[in-house]
Amino acid sequence: MPRCLAYDVPVDTGFFTPLHLQPTAVCRLAFNAAGRWLSRHAISHRSLVAEHRTGFVLWSVQLVSGDPVGFFDGDRLDVRVTGRVRGGGTQVECDVEVRGPVGRATRVRACCVPLRLDGGPALSGTPARLGPEVMSAFLADEIEALPHRSPLPGLRTAIASGGAALARGRTPFVIHRHQCEVADQWFWPEAVSLAAGGREDLVRAEAGRVPRLLAAMRTPVGRLDLLFSRPFFLFDEGAVLSTAHEWEGGLAFVHELVGTGAGGDEPRALAIEQFDPAQEPAWR
Amino acid sequence: MMVRVSGALLRFTDYQRAIRVDAPTVEAALVKLAGEYQPLRKVLFDREGRVRATQKVFLNGEPLEPDQLASSAGEADCVELLLAISGG
Repeated sequence: MPRCLAYDVPVDTGFFTPLHLQPTAVCRLAFNAAGRWLSRHAISHRSLVAEHRTGFVLWSVQLVSGDPVGFFDGDRLDVRVTGRVRGGGTQVECDVEVRGPVGRATRVRACCVPLRLDGGPALSGTPARLGPEVMSAFLADEIEALPHRSPLPGLRTAIASGGAALARGRTPFVIHRHQCEVADQWFWPEAVSLAAGGREDLVRAEAGRVPRLLAAMRTPVGRLDLLFSRPFFLFDEGAVLSTAHEWEGGLAFVHELVGTGAGGDEPRALAIEQFDPAQEPAWR
Repeated sequence: MMVRVSGALLRFTDYQRAIRVDAPTVEAALVKLAGEYQPLRKVLFDREGRVRATQKVFLNGEPLEPDQLASSAGEADCVELLLAISGG
């Protein structure tokens, strides 16, 4: 049986919006939970990097909101996490649940690609399968042959073809060090914040013309999907290209995070936020 | 030539983003640069003194393969160093 790690964390006000858990905070909790699971059941994240020259880069993330949780609902959040290897050691995936005192948990599935680090101080690396010494730390039922496949390309196509575009916007940004991890590469939950910032700027600019957009401020994100193609680094300049759609009875925001160098817009990540979806989304 | 540095490499050049280097080839420029900014040496070169495979080098916007690093470059040329990805 796949091993699970369960623990609780005391709440602070930064975990929450007025509506629910902050998606960025949930993703940070999830990444920390994955590190705890690895450390408890397989190998510590620090040891992986320092001794096995193995790092991770996030590739695909799905967040499905549970029942709304507020700061005043309880003193602690319960966290449950499981981990697995997929695709013959080409992916490491974790499922994390973050739950308040009552109701359904908010769930995050995050799929990382292992990197073989080159041993340099910049922690640079290239995608590689996990080595046998790391693979051996996983139980047989924590190793899945099939790779994870992101639902995002299909979802983006479905929204573009089946939804009605309501508004578009562009929000420039610069990556600063407080948004980065140890190697001055952006810390992936920042993509969640940048996408949300793009959405909120779009709502600010266009809600007078399209009042329907205010639903994206009145209700929490129902589902969030992310797909990363290339990271941002310190002082990189970029923009969030956001498009709001009416789609399947709810609102969907497609955010393309692009680098804005001399060569024009260059895709780095894609995020899709869905609000009040017509039906309970399921893992895909 | 001008060498442009960005992102995760900036801390190894004391946050200098554009550095003028006088050298006959791209590789010679990188060696000279690493001499001027010592912390950069281990980032750019492996123990055998080869440019690390994770380090992407562009000459006037065109990517250079490892066997093209001996390309000559003049005063008006621009070399760009990019780290493709890092893992933590």
